[in-house]
Amino acid sequence: MEKFTKAFPSKPLPSKTAKPWALAGVVGSGNLEVMLERGGKPSDAMECHVETSIPGYKASWLAALSDFAHHYPAGGTKVTINDQGAPPVLVNLRLRQAYDHLTKGDK
Amino acid sequence: MTGAILFHELTARQRVAALVDAGSFSELLPPPERITSPYLAQLGIPVSFDDGLVIGHARIGGKKIYLAAQVGQFVGGAVGEIHGAKLTGLFKAAARDKLPCVLIIESGGVRLHEGSSGEIAIAETMRAIFECRALKVPTIAVIATDIGAFGGIGILSTCCDFRIMTEHGRLGISGPIVIEKWMGKKAYDSANRALVWKTSGGKTKYLLGDADALVHDTADAVRDGISKFLGKSSAVSLVSVKARQKELQKRLKKFGAASDPDTVWKSMGVRDIQAASLASGPEFAALAKRGK
Repeated sequence: MEKFTKAFPSKPLPSKTAKPWALAGVVGSGNLEVMLERGGKPSDAMECHVETSIPGYKASWLAALSDFAHHYPAGGTKVTINDQGAPPVLVNLRLRQAYDHLTKGDK
Repeated sequence: MTGAILFHELTARQRVAALVDAGSFSELLPPPERITSPYLAQLGIPVSFDDGLVIGHARIGGKKIYLAAQVGQFVGGAVGEIHGAKLTGLFKAAARDKLPCVLIIESGGVRLHEGSSGEIAIAETMRAIFECRALKVPTIAVIATDIGAFGGIGILSTCCDFRIMTEHGRLGISGPIVIEKWMGKKAYDSANRALVWKTSGGKTKYLLGDADALVHDTADAVRDGISKFLGKSSAVSLVSVKARQKELQKRLKKFGAASDPDTVWKSMGVRDIQAASLASGPEFAALAKRGK
């Protein structure tokens, strides 16, 4: 297991979202779950907590998360991830799914 | 829309959303509470925010129910201490509030990483189910995926008043690979899909009376199936248990020596095995006269 926490600069989240939290994905082989919650402390940063079963890929994680924080206004959110070996492209997909659910609702 | 997607392809959370009246689901111990397994964390295995079980209350056709859905992709939907405590609590709440309790099953049984806690949790949940039944509170299990209901959860499902299955659902105690390991490939070939499904699958379980309804693999069909059982429950008594024991003895006598599942199908009134194999849900049920 590898655990780390890091905040990434990001434009503030819209003041209104459909839900206070959203979840995407499940903890299965090659998959992960991503939870996005409102109420992260600084409104211009995305606070990330990652727990992964595969150690040694911190650089890839930081790249994927910072890329997302750069492209989406996710400042003031807390991102918590439980990972069981998902590839970076899936990490990105789940982040976007969770973000969509948070901002627009489940439909 | 989820209605068009097959029920067995949905995730646990999508299943809940597709089954209940729109917007009526209220989750208990939702992911932000982070009630996760302490055992998995110690073993260096990733945890899940809901420990593989979504629980809450909702409405189906306006009727208030308690509802749980297992996440099969997370350690095979297996029951650990937290997962089991959530299950027990839900059935106890159903007994307290006299509301039907529906369990969407997808589990291989006890989570081996937390074996004793899981076993105890399943036993406690069974007791809570019997509490419900003693109070005439309906308990309904839905088994609709190939992960199915095995091990302790297979037993637990049969403690409920009713079981609703689809042809994809499987119900048993030991899974196919376990049986093969113990009995040998000649006795039971777990790679023989037709054999596996004809022994543990929804169609055969329906013929034998272990499943009370065989429905199509869609959320609409599963919801209709649940609706039909929401008002009914019966207490478990010494008389009912003895009667069930007699039925099972009869079944063993009738089929104990059978080496081919087709024998069971034929004796349950299925004339055209080929046609029945291709039929699903109510169409299959119509091709057979179900016996005890």
